[in-house]
Amino acid sequence: MSVPRADYDPRRIFLISCPSLPFFKHRRAIGVYAAGALFALAHAMFFDACALSAHAKPPPDAPYDTVPVHVTFVDWIPGIFTTLGLLIINLIDKERLLSEGSYGGEPTIIWRARLFLFIGFALMAGGLAGSVSLLVLKYIIQNYEPRFQYYGYANVAQNVALMLAAVILWLAQHASSEYEYNLQL
Amino acid sequence: MVERLKTVIFLSFFLAIGLLAIILSCALWSNWLPLLVALIFVLAPLPNALFAHCGSDDFSNEYESTPAVDLGRFITSIVVVTGFALPLILQHAEVIKPAASYMSIVGGSLVYGTILAYSQVFKQDTEEF
Repeated sequence: MSVPRADYDPRRIFLISCPSLPFFKHRRAIGVYAAGALFALAHAMFFDACALSAHAKPPPDAPYDTVPVHVTFVDWIPGIFTTLGLLIINLIDKERLLSEGSYGGEPTIIWRARLFLFIGFALMAGGLAGSVSLLVLKYIIQNYEPRFQYYGYANVAQNVALMLAAVILWLAQHASSEYEYNLQL
Repeated sequence: MVERLKTVIFLSFFLAIGLLAIILSCALWSNWLPLLVALIFVLAPLPNALFAHCGSDDFSNEYESTPAVDLGRFITSIVVVTGFALPLILQHAEVIKPAASYMSIVGGSLVYGTILAYSQVFKQDTEEF
């Protein structure tokens, strides 16, 4: 790949360019693999909390007590929302967003793409906010033991990891084609 | 030809060891949940193998990947990480013993490594056509 010299390339910012490492041509694949790993890790953390809750026992000094709190369907909702947001954001064809006006006379396509992008970001932000509010309202305010508060923290960690996965996937999809168009949103 | 045969024998040896570790991790504690790990790792290369053929035709170069190829990589990565995470989850919830979880992880990575090595070693054959 021949990169234009700095004098000729108007997109260059720094005087010394970043050296191109040998794995740079695989960075799209690496990014996609990393995003998938983060996605699986996020759901593994949440399912860990689910399995812990399903097998939780009352403390040994009071074996006939009931376990005060369980992971219920409410805990699943933020994760579902964030996953939906991730899917919507990354299913949008990026060239539709970036090619402003090049599909002449079709501004409705760009408008619809931006609408869906907004819905996706709103779902992700809503999922993250929902997980934090769930942690506070269901676990922290009720003053449960730390082993029950772990369910809430696992939920927040799941949503943060899902957002990171979405960011990495977004960046990886741009990685190979960054010489054709620079990122303008 | 002889080294091909040796490769095949070594790879099948590692596959057998991996499966042995997984089955032992189930049978020693008579709890057959870790067998799911073997299933997950056997299914792991499937998405890449399926979606790799959707991507490039003769006119596009190798590094230009299509969304279908990306989807295959994404699903493969999800399945592999799930295979590593599932025994740890089961161990954390005290469903299986820690030793069983470590044995199934080692066995599963041996199985997956065997499949990867096999597809790497015998990939050159098809490219010559």
